[in-house]
Order: sequence, then structure tokens, then C-alpha cells
Amino acid sequence: MSSNAIRQLARDRSLFVPAGLFIVLLAAVATRGHGLFTMNGIAGAILVATPLILTALAITPIVMAGRGAVDLSVGPLMGFINVTLITWLVGNGVTNPVAVIGWAIGLGAAFQLIQALVIIYVRVAPIIVTLSGFLVLSGINLMVMSRPGGVAPDWMLSWGAGTSVFSPVLFLLLVAYVVWAGLRRTMFYRNLRMTGSDERMAYTSGVPVDTVRIIAHVVGGAFTGLAALSYTSLISSGDPTQGSTYTLQAVTALVLGGASLSGGRGGALGSTLGAINMFLISYLLSTFNFGTVSGFVTQMAFGLILVGSLLVNVFVICRRAAA
Amino acid sequence: MVSTVMKTDTGVTMRSNPLRTYKGISIGFGLLACLLVLGALLVPGFVSSQNARSILLLAAFLGLASIGQTLCALVGALDLSTPYIIGGANILLPSLMVAGLPAPLAMLLVLLLGALVGATNGALSFKLQGQALIMSLGVGFAAVGAVQIYTSLGSQFGGTVFAPVPEWLRNISAFNGKFFGVPIPPVIIIWAVVAIALGWLMHNTWFGRSIYAIGGSRTAAARLGISEFKVWTVIHSVSGAMSAITGMLLLGFSGGGFVGVGDPYLFTTVAAVVIGGTSLLGGAGGYGATVLGVLVLTVLTSLLVGLGLSFPAQQAVVGLLIVPMVAIYARSPHIRNQI
Repeated sequence: MSSNAIRQLARDRSLFVPAGLFIVLLAAVATRGHGLFTMNGIAGAILVATPLILTALAITPIVMAGRGAVDLSVGPLMGFINVTLITWLVGNGVTNPVAVIGWAIGLGAAFQLIQALVIIYVRVAPIIVTLSGFLVLSGINLMVMSRPGGVAPDWMLSWGAGTSVFSPVLFLLLVAYVVWAGLRRTMFYRNLRMTGSDERMAYTSGVPVDTVRIIAHVVGGAFTGLAALSYTSLISSGDPTQGSTYTLQAVTALVLGGASLSGGRGGALGSTLGAINMFLISYLLSTFNFGTVSGFVTQMAFGLILVGSLLVNVFVICRRAAA
Repeated sequence: MVSTVMKTDTGVTMRSNPLRTYKGISIGFGLLACLLVLGALLVPGFVSSQNARSILLLAAFLGLASIGQTLCALVGALDLSTPYIIGGANILLPSLMVAGLPAPLAMLLVLLLGALVGATNGALSFKLQGQALIMSLGVGFAAVGAVQIYTSLGSQFGGTVFAPVPEWLRNISAFNGKFFGVPIPPVIIIWAVVAIALGWLMHNTWFGRSIYAIGGSRTAAARLGISEFKVWTVIHSVSGAMSAITGMLLLGFSGGGFVGVGDPYLFTTVAAVVIGGTSLLGGAGGYGATVLGVLVLTVLTSLLVGLGLSFPAQQAVVGLLIVPMVAIYARSPHIRNQI
């Protein structure tokens, strides 16, 4: 896996920027010396960063499918799974792990399937469809649960303890990677990249573009389900309000990871690096004492980094086009 | 005004079918009429000068904030920095006045800063095109973060600024504001004047026509000697300036600076543009259409409030309405017809 990753890194120039930033950030965190590199530190980091990594992974196939399909609904969808899990399932005494996990993944996949079908058959621009999904789900989340509350199932409470590196949350992340690695070996992955790069050419070459788009959305939805599980175990309760934050952070992580929002380019490795970089940046900023303005400093830093990484991406694309 | 703007607009855009645009407009009018009839039947007191005034007041804020979004949509962009600039202006103005600046000077400064942020956004995002909306998000984040750092230095209330709002600014945007003795909040008059001026500018000036030309066909616009970069940047800077103005006027409405005041405008401005009938792909539509969209959205919200729906439920209903509205007039052709 790791040698494969290095080869991919060497081949794909879009990974240079996130990988370089990752090393710089890691060095900066090390010099600040605040115990990220202990067992507990790493375990906590995995726990906090996993929902973001998984949401970034969830929008990766959807963005790769092209047509400017940035899935804005990913954050509220994660929130929707979270609040329905707590209110409808646990609230009615259903705590069976199979039912809970099945509900999370199934609901995510089902919602994305609906979005994909609307995009394909109603033929409305994907950004409008996901914007609509964002609004609807943000509203419904607050209707299901008006304020943060509730408790996660008993068996999930230990997940969020953050005492061991090899926690079930890490397992969720690994499941996503195994699924992605499996997909990479299939024809679907190749078709996905072709569809994203140039849908018309793909269509004329006989690629079933509609099927590709549906699978991309369903895979993204299933990953959102995993993200919701890790999020639920992180906060051990339900929270209907964090959806828009996660959408913005996931899109930022994706761009930071070198994916192109116009489609065709991107991957799990880049999105993961992007999400980890986001986590490291907020971790690094939290080690400084900004007092009351710390939240605003983080917000400004995210904004500037997003702007910077977009510009670098353009630069890389231009260079490649000229070469 | 709506009809005159639309009539001439469609002549220039080659891709757009005039029938389609008329369809969008007539559906907008139909929807507005339906909503008004429904409101009159279902909600007691819906048809009253009180309610009309409150609808127009809220519509004026949304309408001013949607100007930038409409212009951006006409060249195929979306400006997602709007809510952040509104929020930033809303807290920066009182903070500057507390610092001792006279109100007019402070407002001018906020306006210029808004335009500057918008211009930066435009200049940076020009090369990105398809990803421009994400760039505007990043610029908005950075701007509002910087403003918040400035305003909360030396204060323990992050995000909220307390300052006396000048009486005249309060009068402009307050519900019981007076316009030369007439009980209409002056912000409604401001909106009407701006809307008419913009409608005239859009189809009588070289710049206005250039926006449609670029939205219609970039290649053709370039052949005509239109600088796409210039139009793109100016549009974004107008958008930033209008957002700043909206933020300052909202200060008079609410009476205290609060950074979250712009948040609802992120998606309502887009929804107003879309419901009005301006294509997000560029080239078709206009501000007249957006005015219609703003009125539909505000009347709908007022109706939903009258029916006792909470804010989340309103949001869900508006979200559900967007896809069918866009599907009526802005469906993209099937892939086999695009080759």
C-alpha cells in the first residue's frame, strides 16, 4: 500500500502541494511540541480528524464525475444521518449495531441515489440539486432535533474514548480505503475519470456515463454514512447544526488535496492529505494563544489557505498544459 | 420594468430562446399571484398595509444583496462571499464609529473595503472559472475573519459589536421609518431607484451589454473586443460593494452589529436569482427577473410564517422549490444532443 502510494505521488504532480504542506505542517507541529506524537495524541487526532477525512472522501468520487458537481449537501446529509440515528433509532430503543450501521450507510447511499437520479433525469445542474439538498436537509435536521442532545448507543460510547490508536473509528476509515482500493481496480474507476475529464468524449466512446454517475454518488453516500458513524462516536450525541461547517471544510480539504472541482482529477490519497492538513492547521493554531480571537484566526487561516491552494492548483494546471 | 428589461435582453443572447425566458417570467408572475391569493385566503391579516410594508422591507434587503449575485450569474459565476461581506460590514461599521470616525466617512470606508474585497475575489477567481465559487467562499472567509479580529481586539464580545446607531440610519431601514413624512421605510425607495437604474444600465450601456455578450458566448465577446477579465472583476467588485451596503443598512434594521446577520443570504440570494429565471449558466435573465424572484421568495416566507411554520421548515420548503423551478426553464440538453 505504501510503496503504491509513493509511486502514485511521484506520478501525479497534483499531490506535490498537499504532501509538501503536510511535511511542513508536521515539522511545525513537532517544533511546537504539544504532545501530538504520543499514543493518546494520535488516538485523539484520529478520532477528531476521521469525520472530516471521510466527508472529504465522500465528495471525492462525486467531484471526480465532473459537471462541476461539488456536493454541497454532504455536511447536512451527515447531520441528517446523525440526528435520525439518535432520535428515530436509539430514541425508539433500536441499538443493534447491525441496524445502526446499516441505517447510516443505507440512508447515505439512498439519498445520494435520489440526487444522482434527479441530476440525470431532471437534467438540472448538479450544483443546484445539491444546493437544494443542502437547504432541505439543513431544515429537516432542525425539525428532527431542535438542539444538540440525545445519547449514542451504549456500544458506541467506548468508540469516542480516544484512548487507543486501533479504535473502531480507525476501522471505519480503513473500510473506506479498502472499498476505494477495490474500486480503483475496477472498470468503474477508469470510466469515472474519463467521464469527469470529458463527458462528451466518454459518451461517444461508449462509457455508460449515467451508470458511472449513479455509482459515484452511491459510493459517496455510503462514505457519508461512515462519516456520520465516526461523527456520532466523536460527539456521542446528536447535533443538527454542524452540517454547513462540514460541507465547507470537506470542500476545502478536497481542493487542498489537489482535486479539480471541474472533474476528472483527484483521489482518496489527495483528499486524505487535504483533510489531515486541515486538522494540522487548526491543531497548530490552537497551540498559540490568541485569546478571544482564536476562532476568527482559524477562520481567516482556512480562507487564506483555500485561496492559496486554489491558486497553486491553477498554476500547476497551467504549467502542465504548457508542457 | 420587468417586461421591458426582458424584451431587449433576449434579443442579444443567442443561445437563449425568447419563449423560454418569457416562460420563466410568466411562471414567476403566476407563482407570485398564486402565493398572494393563497395568503389572502389562508392567513388572516395577510392583505394589509402593515404586512405589505414588512414584506417590501425584507424584500428590499434581499433585493439589494441579490444584485451582485444576479450580475455574477449572468456571466456564469456565483458569488458565495456575499453573506460574509454583509456580516463583516455589519460589525465593521459600528466598530469604526466607536473608534471615532464620523458616520458618513465610516460608511464610505466600509463601502470601499467591500468593493476592494469583491475586486480581489474577481481578479483571483478569473482564471478558475468553474471553481470560482469556491474561491469566493475562501475570500469571504478570510475577509470576515480579518474583520472579526479587528473588531474584537480589546473587546471580550467576539462577533457582536455594541454601538449607538445614528438616528437617520435607523430611520432608513426601520419598519416604522418615514420617507419625507410618508410612512414607507426609505430602504424600499432606495431599492426601487437602484433597481430601475440598474435595469436601464444593463441594456443601454456598453458595459451592460458586455455582460450579456460574455454570458452568451465568451468567444464571440472576445472577438468583439470585450475584456472578459475587466467585466468579471468589475462585476465581482459591484457585488462586494452591494453586499457591504446591505450589511450597513441591516445595521439600521437590527440596531446592533452581529456577524451572523448575513448567513441567510448565502442561499436566499442564489434562490432569488434562480426562482426569478436568470440562468446560472450565464447569458439569459436580468435584474428585473431577480426582483420577481425576490418578491416570490419574500411573499412565500411571509405566507409560511403566517401558517406557523418554523424557520427550519421554511428552509426545507424553499429548498424543495428550487429544483422544480430550475427544471421548468433551465434544463440542460441530453448528453447525446451536446455532441
